Amino acid sequence: MSNTTRILTVDDSPSMRALLNHALSGHGFDVSQAEDGMAALDWLAMNEVDVVITDINMPRLDGFGLIERLREGSRHRDRPILVLTTESSDEKKARARAAGATGWIVKPFDPEKLVAAVRRVAH
Amino acid sequence: MNAEEIQAIFFAECEESLEAAEQGLAACRDGTQDGDTVNAVFRAVHSIKGGAGAFGYIPLQGFTHTFETLLSDVRDGTVAITEPLIDLMLGALDTLSDHVTAARNGGEPPEDSALQAELTAAMAANVGSAPAPAAVAPAPAPVAEPEPVAAPKAESAGDDFDFDFDLDALLDDISGEIAPSDNDAAGAAPEKRWEVRVRPHAAAMRNGSEPLLMLREMGDLGGTCAVCDISSIPPLDSFDVGTGYLGWAFSFPASVTEDSVRDIFDFVGDDCSLAFGEAAEMPPVRHPEPAQPAPSVVAAAVAAPVEANAAALVQATPATSAPVETESAQARMAANGSAPPAPPAPGQSIRIELGKLDKLIDAVGELVIAQAMMAQRLAGQGLAVAEEMAMIEGLTRDIQESAMAIRAQPIGSVFSRVPRILRELASTTGKHVKLEVSGETTELDKTVIERLGEPLTHLIRNAVDHGIEQADERIAAGKPAEGTLTLSAEHRSGRILIRIGDDGKGIDRERVFAKAVEKGLVSPETVMSKEEIDLLIFAPGFSTAQQVSNISGRGVGMDVVRQNVKDLGGRITIDSEPGKGTTFTLTLPLTLAISDGMVVNVGDETLVVPLANVVESLRPEPNEVQGLGANRCMINVRGRFIPVIPLSQSVGAAGAATDPRDGVLIVVETEGAGRAALMVDAICDQRQVVIKSLDTHYRSVEGVAGATILGDGRVALIVDVDSLVSRSLASSSTTASLAEAA
Repeated sequence: MSNTTRILTVDDSPSMRALLNHALSGHGFDVSQAEDGMAALDWLAMNEVDVVITDINMPRLDGFGLIERLREGSRHRDRPILVLTTESSDEKKARARAAGATGWIVKPFDPEKLVAAVRRVAH
Repeated sequence: MNAEEIQAIFFAECEESLEAAEQGLAACRDGTQDGDTVNAVFRAVHSIKGGAGAFGYIPLQGFTHTFETLLSDVRDGTVAITEPLIDLMLGALDTLSDHVTAARNGGEPPEDSALQAELTAAMAANVGSAPAPAAVAPAPAPVAEPEPVAAPKAESAGDDFDFDFDLDALLDDISGEIAPSDNDAAGAAPEKRWEVRVRPHAAAMRNGSEPLLMLREMGDLGGTCAVCDISSIPPLDSFDVGTGYLGWAFSFPASVTEDSVRDIFDFVGDDCSLAFGEAAEMPPVRHPEPAQPAPSVVAAAVAAPVEANAAALVQATPATSAPVETESAQARMAANGSAPPAPPAPGQSIRIELGKLDKLIDAVGELVIAQAMMAQRLAGQGLAVAEEMAMIEGLTRDIQESAMAIRAQPIGSVFSRVPRILRELASTTGKHVKLEVSGETTELDKTVIERLGEPLTHLIRNAVDHGIEQADERIAAGKPAEGTLTLSAEHRSGRILIRIGDDGKGIDRERVFAKAVEKGLVSPETVMSKEEIDLLIFAPGFSTAQQVSNISGRGVGMDVVRQNVKDLGGRITIDSEPGKGTTFTLTLPLTLAISDGMVVNVGDETLVVPLANVVESLRPEPNEVQGLGANRCMINVRGRFIPVIPLSQSVGAAGAATDPRDGVLIVVETEGAGRAALMVDAICDQRQVVIKSLDTHYRSVEGVAGATILGDGRVALIVDVDSLVSRSLASSSTTASLAEAA
């Protein structure tokens, strides 16, 4: 925990990425951004990260697809991955969990809760 | 980056999303109803909803939610795509667009309750017919954990070792502060405490979850670890590293709520069993599933079946297929990683503030001038052929083209607004019009695109209002009841051509002429060609609509359209055939900043002729030039006679050649007046010129497109070939209006 927690945010919406970046950078996290699942995979192939925060609905490769691909490989199998979801229903959560997500963040998110969620999973 | 900047990003994104949704729905209507298309629409609306929620635009969020829910059902196939549904969704998109506008401008959001009800009704209409989308059961036991999740097995023993090591450290930590045992606490605690028993299962250690962090968080909340249940740990030979053998009992002060503890385990849900309450009241088993633990730390005997099942669970994960999958996945990832030559960065595009870009374009303009100046100076010292100079020239051109490309945008962003205009027109005029678009990927400068919207909108309204007939009239004329509007864009010799065509009744020239006479625009005796009559509709104060409708007659006449196009350095021409339809053609420059020009000498003046207009240049043979009347002549270019226009007369330059045989003729192509040959004394150079507007520094002058700075620092006027030629031909005696500007 001595090092800065590195976070990759994956969302096709630039404003959502900007919001995440804004909320997280203010708390001393080191934030990188990817615009969809494919971009995230490319980035993760070359970089190290502590937590991934991903949207579900994205072009090319969606959030569940991204998680699946990451969990398939050995390098990111135990990486905490938080899913951004607009619904807080148990069904959605169970689905995220079943897909391999570590946890979820309900949009629109409260910056404090976002930070708490990241802290909860940051190894 | 502050909140306002993020909001600005959000609204820019809304525009893109609306455009994407519009395109998606249009594709649906045209028969492309596959999952990707519908999903693109869903994503667009979903994205707006996400931002709306984040920025607190409640009405926008509410409306997008309803719309999104319907789209979600459509995507999942529970609501069938029908013609009325697409229309409904297109209508919803229009309202959504209004919502976005209201949110951006702080205006009143549109009334949408009826539409929302319609959207909801559309869902309900189908909802009974199909089962709920295949959802994961709300309470899947760990057994239900699907295959894609590979169990962390022995190959990652290192990780697990770390985990165990941490765990030991934790146990050491808490052993120091171990609370009195249950019984002691019950008897002696001065404060009422309550307990929770926690047993993370195998799945709670997968997918990046870390029970240690949860235990720590309970400690942070004020909980103390009373007991760690190690009784379930099996002998080493049957020990499975992926199984949760440990359980903990924590005690909390009364000030800590149960919910706050539940929150900690929110993410892992059923993968970690919790049992709240005093030991005596604690239910021994919370779920009937065999894999659930015996939460009772005292009754450890129950743990045996737990182990057995947990072990079975781990083995049940497809051990045979997993390695294969992993391998292929790694191969795919490796392929992804090595395919691009450079390290890939996330994000294929970045957003740049327009001001910064304009600064770059300005700087590039200055660079082009500076480069030209340097070339001129070097030429003066006999170093014109310096190889480095050629390189710099090439690079300057590359930089300029790249900078221009950054500003270029596909015209599709303007075209995509058209369907909505047509829908609105259909509801007000009752004329249903089919849209055919081509060349929407044609790129042109952002400024041009932005300023194109208004004239284009007006031309389209005009085409539908005046051009296309009512359905019965069309049928009577043997045409399909539905009119067709054709929009196209293409590049042609450094300019862009945009055509707006309809298949309506064409321009009624008799009526136009009569109207023009009535308005005093022309005298009744004037003999006018068809083209000239058509152009009358652009005359200020002209309107042919017998009743000024609220569509075309919005106070913006066609003259304003022409002025808008002219301000962009463009021209507009009409091609109309009675009974067949009318096509308006806009010819626009690709960029407003830099263009290629031919630098010419005319007497004591230096002028620039835009290269886009130049077809060829020639020195005429004596027998090729024919006089026509007193002061006009024509030149025979390969069998075709074209008028010769002495540029010196137009600009009032002294000492210029007057006989075509002494000068150079530059054959130019114009939009309105065909070809003409401009007579100049000599061609000095062909180079890029940075266009400086004459309007801002002086005033608009007919026949002059702008000014530029030459390599030697002098200012030269850029000839507006189209207007110069048509004016010269219209009046046989040319006036010297350019002279005043020069």
